Amino acid sequence: MTETTTWTRHHVLSLADFSPREYDTVLQTAASFREVLSRRTKKVPALQGQVVANLFFEPSTRTRSSFELAAKRLSSDTLNFAPGTSSLTKGETILDTAKTYWAMGANIMVIRHRQSGVPGAIAQAMDHLQAGVKVLNAGDGLHEHPSQALLDLFTLCSLIDFEAPRLHCLAGKKIAIVGDILHSRVARSNIWSLSAAGADVHLAAPPTLLPSLFAEMGQVTLHWELAPALQGADFIMALRLQKERMTQNLLPSLREYHQQFGITRDRLQLCHPDVKILHPGPVNRGVELSSDLMDDPRLSLINQQVTSGVAIRMALLYLLAFPTGSPVL
Amino acid sequence: MNELFQQVRILDPLSQSDRLADILICDSKIEAIAPQLTQYPSDSQITPPSGYILAPGLVDLYSQSSDPGHEDRETLDQLAQAALAGGFTHITLLPNTTPPLDTAATCQFLQQKAQTLPKKPQFHYWGAITRHLAGEQLAELDDLRQNGVIGWSDGKTLAHWGLLRRALEYAQPWQKPLALGLTHPQLQEQGVMREGPLSIQMGLVGDPAYSESATLAALLEIIAAFSTPVHLMRVSTARSVELIAQAKGKGLSITASTPWHHLLLDTSALMDYDPNLRLDPPLGNSTDRLALQEGVKTGVIDAIAIDHTPYSYEEKTVAFAEAPPGALGLQLALPLLWQHLIRQGDWTPLQLWNALSTAPHRCLQQPPLECTPGTQGGFILFDPQAPWTVDSTTLHSACQNTYWWGKTLQGKVLRVW
Repeated sequence: MTETTTWTRHHVLSLADFSPREYDTVLQTAASFREVLSRRTKKVPALQGQVVANLFFEPSTRTRSSFELAAKRLSSDTLNFAPGTSSLTKGETILDTAKTYWAMGANIMVIRHRQSGVPGAIAQAMDHLQAGVKVLNAGDGLHEHPSQALLDLFTLCSLIDFEAPRLHCLAGKKIAIVGDILHSRVARSNIWSLSAAGADVHLAAPPTLLPSLFAEMGQVTLHWELAPALQGADFIMALRLQKERMTQNLLPSLREYHQQFGITRDRLQLCHPDVKILHPGPVNRGVELSSDLMDDPRLSLINQQVTSGVAIRMALLYLLAFPTGSPVL
Repeated sequence: MNELFQQVRILDPLSQSDRLADILICDSKIEAIAPQLTQYPSDSQITPPSGYILAPGLVDLYSQSSDPGHEDRETLDQLAQAALAGGFTHITLLPNTTPPLDTAATCQFLQQKAQTLPKKPQFHYWGAITRHLAGEQLAELDDLRQNGVIGWSDGKTLAHWGLLRRALEYAQPWQKPLALGLTHPQLQEQGVMREGPLSIQMGLVGDPAYSESATLAALLEIIAAFSTPVHLMRVSTARSVELIAQAKGKGLSITASTPWHHLLLDTSALMDYDPNLRLDPPLGNSTDRLALQEGVKTGVIDAIAIDHTPYSYEEKTVAFAEAPPGALGLQLALPLLWQHLIRQGDWTPLQLWNALSTAPHRCLQQPPLECTPGTQGGFILFDPQAPWTVDSTTLHSACQNTYWWGKTLQGKVLRVW
């Protein structure tokens, strides 16, 4: 890395208060790590001797693997935690678990939990203990999933300017976020980042999955029909639809949802001719996205998202570990 | 023992009197009050003017006893000591003990247990409306009444409206209050925070304000058909205050209370996801908070409830949405209400004291206490200036489930007679 970064954030819990400068620092750092990942030896000694603890209180495959690989590419020691076999089943509180990892010397905790606010609570407890532990939110309940939104941002900005992906790349671009927005931490984080980028953000879902209260979250336009959201869109972010939404009376059926809001090749006619599709995964094929679109490399950015994920997570771990920058790359 | 307090501020909501005077107390009995007492027993212990307040003891409308069943949270003795330390001379226990207070036997057991405590406030009891608090079959309301319950409550909403109708109908001969919660479980669903822009942003499932007001509107229609008096518990929304004002205007036999937390805090306090602020009903928005304050000041909401609910560290050290609802209150309410509503707000001390003492007595159909010569016990001495820190050395409860844990408050009850 040639430039020295400035980074003052101790924890990454939410993008609600991220500054444009912070977004650009993350994007710039991720671009450097993308270059590292293209080398023959895809590993740097940046975090050698540091301990990254992946505390995934909720099961996860892709995010946990992505963080683990990112930490390993930075040469840190990684600890993984699986709730099913842990002391949580013996009555230990989440704070006790975090304190145990702190006592083992964890420098960074990457935390996922099914409930909103848990990474923040652990960060607060660590600060209270003056532990110096950094906390990275890897998805909490319905609240936020900052690293996912940042990798989405990186994927999109890189598409526009591969060499220098920056926040302003997305200014004025129309982005439609479609699906179960109410229950999506990914959507919430993306609303913050894409609004900060000056993108023209449109949200589309049935009213039960997109309450009008979302209009108060930022510069977003709400649609209870799909067509106006897709009209002229440069990018579409489809969200996963949990099947239990039917039993909660939020939707009558998956069939009706797909009829109204499923992204199909026909509907893409409404979008910009070069439209691209993102999805945080895992995809319910044939529900939120028709199967052929997902596999079409001219349309789908899903694989690029996964690749970007490692670079973004390396960047986040690195910035938390070395706020003022380091010449080790 | 004779005690003379010089130039103490005497609050007496019953006579609407707030004045500085000398007061002589002999063996817990008010012997004399005068602008300046010159004649008093020579052995009197004299407290010079200190900015203290002497007033009737506070009355708790409903709180939870963890004893029997969860003595690890708080024993009945700890509850009693917390109450006295907070200035409460009357405590009214909800029936949700384990086993619940749904039979004469459990009622007698609790009464006997309370009797053995060395130092205690007066205990009162809400008997259950339904057996096992299950909301399916009426408890023996008359038997409970004959064993001294002050009224009946399940401590929560009675969602089975057919059963509620029968309870209101059956209880009419005794004219004792039924205390009813107002949130409808099906409208509330899994909601843990008042629905609004902040619940969306924070990713917490919202509980819409109409889960309370819609329930209340329907309840008021049912209540109007019977003569049984009803106490509406835990009023938390601005719309509910409007509905109660209308119903009282029509002469319905209702009283209402709001939890003390809801007068001081609103959803903006939840940004840190503090499980100690997981309450049921959830904190409202600032409009609700201000409407509740106004409601209490104007008497639409009769009283401030404490709803003291201890939970252990293990039970509360979980994610916000998974925490059981409830928080400590008995030792904290008076100092915090004084600090926020009187010192920083526009309430008068008499308005606050009325809502914490005289009005709750009336909701419970008890005669309020008057601070006049001849009164024997039941009054307290409060120093609104005294600082203290909320921690395990100052709280009597074995629990620490309060938003104010570790913080320093101003205002302390010095004596209870």
